[in-house]
Amino acid sequence: MTAQEVRLCGLLLREHFGEVVEKVGRHLIRSGAQNLRTLLHETGISIDLVKKSLCVLVQHGVCVFSSGRKGPGSPTEYRTSCDRILRILRYPRYIYTAKTLYGDTGELIIEELLQRGDMTMSSTVKTVADRLTQNMEEGRSMDYSEVSSAFSKLVETHFLQRCPPMAAAATKNGAASATPATPATPGTPSFPDCYRVPHVTLIGKGKRRLSNEDGEDQRSAKRAKIDSETHGDEGIYWQVNFERFHLHFRDQAIISAVANKLDQTSSEIVRTMLRMSEVTTSPTATCTKPLSANEIFRSLPSSYNIARPILDQYLTLLVDDPMEFVGKAGESGGGMYVVNLHRALANLARATLESVVQERFGSRSARIFRLLLRKRHLEQKQVEDFAMIPAKEAKDMLYTLLSQNLVQLQEIPKTPDYAPSRTFYLYTVNQLPTARMLLQNCYKTVANLIERRLFESKESKRLLEKSQRIEAILASLQASGAEPEQLTEVEEMITAPEKQQLESLRLHINKLDSAENQVDETIFLLESYINSTVTS
Amino acid sequence: MADVKVKKETNLSEPAEVENRIKELCQQFPHGITDQVIQNDMPHLEPQQRAMAINKLLSLGQLDLLRNSSGLLYRMKDIQSTSKMKGSDNQEKLVYQIIEDAGNKGIWSRDIRFKSNLPLTEINKILKSLESKKLIKAVKSVAASKKKVYMLYNLQPDRSVTGGAWYSDQDFESEFVEVLNQQCFKFLQSKAEAARDSKQSPMVQRNSSFATSHEVWKYICELGISKVDLSMDDIETILNTLIYDGKVEMTVIAAKEGTVGSVDGQMKLYRGVNPVIQPTGLVRTPCGLCPVFDDCHDGGEISPSNCIYMTEWLDF
Repeated sequence: MTAQEVRLCGLLLREHFGEVVEKVGRHLIRSGAQNLRTLLHETGISIDLVKKSLCVLVQHGVCVFSSGRKGPGSPTEYRTSCDRILRILRYPRYIYTAKTLYGDTGELIIEELLQRGDMTMSSTVKTVADRLTQNMEEGRSMDYSEVSSAFSKLVETHFLQRCPPMAAAATKNGAASATPATPATPGTPSFPDCYRVPHVTLIGKGKRRLSNEDGEDQRSAKRAKIDSETHGDEGIYWQVNFERFHLHFRDQAIISAVANKLDQTSSEIVRTMLRMSEVTTSPTATCTKPLSANEIFRSLPSSYNIARPILDQYLTLLVDDPMEFVGKAGESGGGMYVVNLHRALANLARATLESVVQERFGSRSARIFRLLLRKRHLEQKQVEDFAMIPAKEAKDMLYTLLSQNLVQLQEIPKTPDYAPSRTFYLYTVNQLPTARMLLQNCYKTVANLIERRLFESKESKRLLEKSQRIEAILASLQASGAEPEQLTEVEEMITAPEKQQLESLRLHINKLDSAENQVDETIFLLESYINSTVTS
Repeated sequence: MADVKVKKETNLSEPAEVENRIKELCQQFPHGITDQVIQNDMPHLEPQQRAMAINKLLSLGQLDLLRNSSGLLYRMKDIQSTSKMKGSDNQEKLVYQIIEDAGNKGIWSRDIRFKSNLPLTEINKILKSLESKKLIKAVKSVAASKKKVYMLYNLQPDRSVTGGAWYSDQDFESEFVEVLNQQCFKFLQSKAEAARDSKQSPMVQRNSSFATSHEVWKYICELGISKVDLSMDDIETILNTLIYDGKVEMTVIAAKEGTVGSVDGQMKLYRGVNPVIQPTGLVRTPCGLCPVFDDCHDGGEISPSNCIYMTEWLDF
């Protein structure tokens, strides 16, 4: 937990759950596992609020509890990790992916689950059906079965998974529970039944919300509606499987890289290969399972009717490409091919680093950076010769890169005393530490963007409140059937420059939001690369 | 018989005859003769007399003294170079010899001093007189601009001293390099596009988008943008910079000896490529490019709330 990560997590918690939860969460991140009493003592918040915040965090899977260090009798300890909180930044991307894959229904299912943390299947289906019905025309409504089928599809492709079971909820003041605690890290539970859809009896259609509930904010729906019906899946809660989404993003990144580098057909072939190995490859595998060319040929989408020899040629070209996205693993079945996942991630991370240096320092510095990446260690004179840059400028650029820590200096002494005139000084670039450094920079950048956004809204708070009031007045006037003159009079209460200011504020906030998502893409690439090197 | 005897007698008696005999022997063996050879030829000659004759010839500048693994060698000097040194004294000849030995890399004045053990003032005087006689010249080294190396007048300086084709008068020609860079890249890119548009099978497409270094070299020569003749190695260094720019990739294939452009049975092929990813998300925000990124924190002088870069960017 670096300082930047803690800062970012604090901001995210504050935005999504409020200040109290932020305080509790921050404290947990900083101090590791703690029991309730220590938490109370150190944060100084009242016990009710602490309990509620812990509830919220546990509900969303951010915090896990386990029995204390001293054995089963000691008070339970609560622990949270930065990773899970940083996922909050990626929620829009998950929702968008679900939309592209499974349409509006899928999008709403994922959105509901992300908002609530975990829910049973029946309540999800009902809520989503209601929401969809709301947006449909009069007289039509969404059938529960459609939503259920979308839900099942999501579970089949492992995008949703069951929450790990807990036999009895451990009480907060440390009563020992009979069953042992679930794994402490909120990682992927790999218990059986993880992806089994329960048999649920759900018959009905979505209900349209009545018009007098129109003004209700979506967030107020968080208050659980008391439902008197039971549907046979009590106690089975579902949560979003983030790892699966990450695998999907990784595959997408590889496919678009292949499309950029080679051509569309090659990227389709790689997409087919990745799709075929979606469920057979473990998340941390270095490469997918070998696929024979015959299988690939059969599984290609029918719109691409390319002949078999042409497919072989494309595969050979993919294997020969210096980026090494695809490798050949054998000759049986017309050639066995694998997708080199770790290598592809390393290449993508490398391209990211190069692009950062290029945008920040210019294309000649980028040339020096790439040169050092290729040739590992070089003396200053050699750098100048290979890069064909005049000596003075090359020296300047190297020193700038060195001061930003993108390039390191390695000293090789000729004599036991490190006399400068008798030592070799070699410049080098280490990809992994540089990637980590850039990742921290990304976290800081996102935190800056969020802060700026909050600052901008705070600055114009007065204006925003005024516009909200006017909108409310307008709406109520319209509902009670006022005349047009009254409406225009009310509208004119906002002056033109204020309107302009509001407009520009809206633009600013949108821009900052989209920038956060863009930086999140970089964060994802760098994080995947760093994680892949840890496990290998 | 009598003639031979007479000759022998004359050889034995006069030093001039000894010298002539030695000179004839040298001409017989142009690679040089050792003491042993002279002794074999004139067995009755005393070592002292031999040494005197040899010294006389050396001082006259008609013999060259060399050393090889088995001992000393004496070699005939050219008449031409002998005439050049007329009027110079021993020290100048010594310095001249040292400079000649340095070949086309030239030698620094301090090194001349070490090799000849002459004092600095003497060296400078000699160098000046040799330069005025147009026997040696000074060439500025490109590595250290204040250093001057000396070499024989009619020799071409080596590439390491002048820097080769990229340096004109000790200045690195960066615009020239840039222009060449652009031209090579355009050539490779157009070739790749032509290959892509030809819509043939992918293998043929890729192979036709490759260009050998020889083809690129011919193209650049025909373009005629360079005043200096460029060799294939020069073009290869330019193409390497394009690789480091990430615009071009290279493969090496085995080629038959004798095909045009092959070096040691290999040919280098170059191909224009597209970048793998678009500029990454981090650099689309002002923070990614901010020069004061490390100084920025909330509540400080520079903070996200009052960042001027962000203000400009938001109003863009």
